Amino acid sequence: MSSEGEQTVKLVSSDNVEIVTERKVAERSMLIKNMIEDLGAPGEEPIPIMNVSENVLKKVLEWCAQHKNDPAPTQDDDADSRKKTTDIEEWDQKFMQVDQEMLFEIILAANYMDIKALLDVGCKTVANMIKGKSPEEIRKTFNIQNDFTPEEEDQIRRENEWAEDR
Amino acid sequence: MAPLMARPRRSQRRASMSSNSSSSTSPERGVDDDNDSFMLQPNDSQSSLGLDASPELSQDDSLRRQYEEICRVSPVHRLPAELLIHIFSRLSAPKDLQSCMLVSKEWARNSVGLLWHRPAMGKWESIHSVVQSIRKANKFFAYQDLVKRLNMSTLSNAVSDGTLYGLADCKRIERLTLTNCSKLTDISLRPLIAGNRSLLALDITGLDQVTNETMMVVADNCLRLQGLNVSNCRRLEDSAIMAIAKSCRHLKRLKFNNCGQLTGNAIMTVAAHSSHLLEIDLYGLQNVESSAITALLTSCPQLREMRLAHCSRIDDSAFLDLPNDPEMPISFDALRILDLTDCNELGDKGVERIIQACPRLRNLILAKCRQITDRAVFAITKLGKNLHYIHLGHCARINDVSIEALAKSCNRIRYIDLACCSNLTDNSVMKLASLPKLKRIGLVKCAGITDRSIYSLALGEVKNNKRVNGISVLERVHLSYCTDLTIEGIHMLLNNCPKLTHLSLTGVQAFLREDILSFCRDAPPEFNDHQRNVFCVFSGHGVARLRDHLNDQRNFHSGTESNVPSVADGSEMGIDDPDENIDTGSGTNTPVMNVNVMGTHPAGMTPVAPGPSNAHATNILHQAIQNNNHWAPQMGNLTHAHLQGGGSHLSQSAPASTGGALWAGGNANAPTQPPPPPPTHGHPHGNAQQVTGMLGATVLDDVDEGDETFGDESELMND
Repeated sequence: MSSEGEQTVKLVSSDNVEIVTERKVAERSMLIKNMIEDLGAPGEEPIPIMNVSENVLKKVLEWCAQHKNDPAPTQDDDADSRKKTTDIEEWDQKFMQVDQEMLFEIILAANYMDIKALLDVGCKTVANMIKGKSPEEIRKTFNIQNDFTPEEEDQIRRENEWAEDR
Repeated sequence: MAPLMARPRRSQRRASMSSNSSSSTSPERGVDDDNDSFMLQPNDSQSSLGLDASPELSQDDSLRRQYEEICRVSPVHRLPAELLIHIFSRLSAPKDLQSCMLVSKEWARNSVGLLWHRPAMGKWESIHSVVQSIRKANKFFAYQDLVKRLNMSTLSNAVSDGTLYGLADCKRIERLTLTNCSKLTDISLRPLIAGNRSLLALDITGLDQVTNETMMVVADNCLRLQGLNVSNCRRLEDSAIMAIAKSCRHLKRLKFNNCGQLTGNAIMTVAAHSSHLLEIDLYGLQNVESSAITALLTSCPQLREMRLAHCSRIDDSAFLDLPNDPEMPISFDALRILDLTDCNELGDKGVERIIQACPRLRNLILAKCRQITDRAVFAITKLGKNLHYIHLGHCARINDVSIEALAKSCNRIRYIDLACCSNLTDNSVMKLASLPKLKRIGLVKCAGITDRSIYSLALGEVKNNKRVNGISVLERVHLSYCTDLTIEGIHMLLNNCPKLTHLSLTGVQAFLREDILSFCRDAPPEFNDHQRNVFCVFSGHGVARLRDHLNDQRNFHSGTESNVPSVADGSEMGIDDPDENIDTGSGTNTPVMNVNVMGTHPAGMTPVAPGPSNAHATNILHQAIQNNNHWAPQMGNLTHAHLQGGGSHLSQSAPASTGGALWAGGNANAPTQPPPPPPTHGHPHGNAQQVTGMLGATVLDDVDEGDETFGDESELMND
């Protein structure tokens, strides 16, 4: 392992908690990777992760540690990920078994910290919660209020009727 | 939680609430996009989505207040529009997207673009419903502006002008695919394309009623066009293509196949104006001269794929005239794929210049370039590791010496076709067999090859008793009309090549037996009786079933051998012994291959059966043959058995004994024995008649192969 891999970095969460982690783990986040490269002296200067609180940041870093040795995505993988698949590997599935608040916080943090693979897993998890459900079931799942009038709902249903069987 | 996040998110949220966010609901998400840099332009930023949803604009403030409340009770509301869309983009079923649309106004806004990005056009009911929504006066969303892809090729020639006309309001289509909608004419195409500034790719393959008029509308409107496929639009003339080339300056992919009226003038204009060109296909343009090709190569430095099949006027000068300054040698490094099928005028000099000028060619197709000789192939060897795909079918002047050199220099070849190269012998194939990445080999009508070639293909490169390259990657093997082949060789190939999915043996006498043909796939419907009689192609499960069948039969026979001593005489039994020992020792009759097929051997380990360790590769071969020779008596001794009168209980394919007969071609390791006579009985087909039929059926040489010529397009495209 290179010396780079053994380096540590200090991250500071939005609620001002300092977390020390392996550089390689933290660099799963492109945001952090770029910051480290910009700062020049990794490990000394704490890196503020302004939009992510401690409990979420810890959870995100747990994922990063698990996936720290994943190969960098190739162009092929990129093309694949654009395919509409919702397959999730087992470890990630378990990782994502959290309450909805945490689930969406993870997605937001992955987006903010620019961790494409984690964002993908999060979005797939939510997509799987939507799949096969009726509009009413979806509303219940996510506690969403129906703000359509019955007429509007009926209009949308009719205008998009073609999507029903394919 | 995380109060710091609230502010930036809320501002995103507000953006998502405004009607302008519709652009982001139509992300480009196809793998095959032409767009590249184009998508960076903010072309869709002023979506007219809001036009039909204008009442909501005024509600923006109240919606924001609602949001603050909702977010408290429902965490999903924390997600900004872009992430919601990211999630929705994972839903493959339109039904799921439709459900999302009905959840709430916010969800509707963020899913409608995905749903309408590519409306369903597979059934009449859906087309009717789509058109109805688009033409509706007071609709919830401006659906017509959300349609980015329109593909009517599923219903193809059932689609009429009337159908397409209903979609004329869709002015933001980026990809219009009307492949083989042959009823369509200028009448519906012109209004659909007029006013469309977004079109990136247009495929009107097979619309032979379409004229220059539609092309002029394309030229006037679709300035961003990158891909144009007008294959078989036979009415198109030079003027149409020239107009498009002059105004659409971002052309990248062009297919003009069989647009027979096009001449070099159109192609020269394309060359002069399309500096971004990546791919061009001029299949069958018999009026295009060499100078146009020279111009394309010189003016389009990014050109990576050039297909010139059946451009019969092209000769060596197309390449010899390329600028060639010894001081400043130019090479066309981008070119990867060059198809010169049936460019009959092309000779060795042309090929030599091609290789010199295009050193990074990966796919080179010279099928039916009948003039070329070993000299051209020696030039091709200079491509070295770059060459992955080479087609030399019908280049009948080629000999072993150049193919052996090719196999040595270009060791990354994955695909090679040498159909009808009748001078070639086992020497060529034995060299090609050691190509570590070889997936597909075509040897149709290479009548000089024997089972020795097949054994080499089965074993790959062998050193110190081991396969050098692990498990065979061979997938497709074309051996039709290689008339000397026998079942032993193929049996061994099957058992050593677990990835084999296609095996063609049309017209090979040894396989024209009922039990074997039962695993053969159906002959193409257009074949006549004559062709059907000799048709013998195994694919997919057929290959696996043939393998199982041959293994079963051998197991069965080895089991019966000991019980039927009367069939064989003493001397034959003597020869039989070592064979039996090996069988017992390994607990199977197929030591060489079962190991491999069952996957019990890790990759890279020797797949050879346990037994006396042999120091030389030839011994493996010998041993393999010994293990494989259960079939030999069928060829050599069946007649013998019958003459003895002891074979009546045997099935037509059953060997009377496992005598010493080896494969038909003979081998230095084998006991000298005259080549076995062909089976003369027990075969339901009239062999004599088929032999005649086979010789007469030269037309079949390529036809029986699904991918004999260019069927492996997908392979070409994968890079």
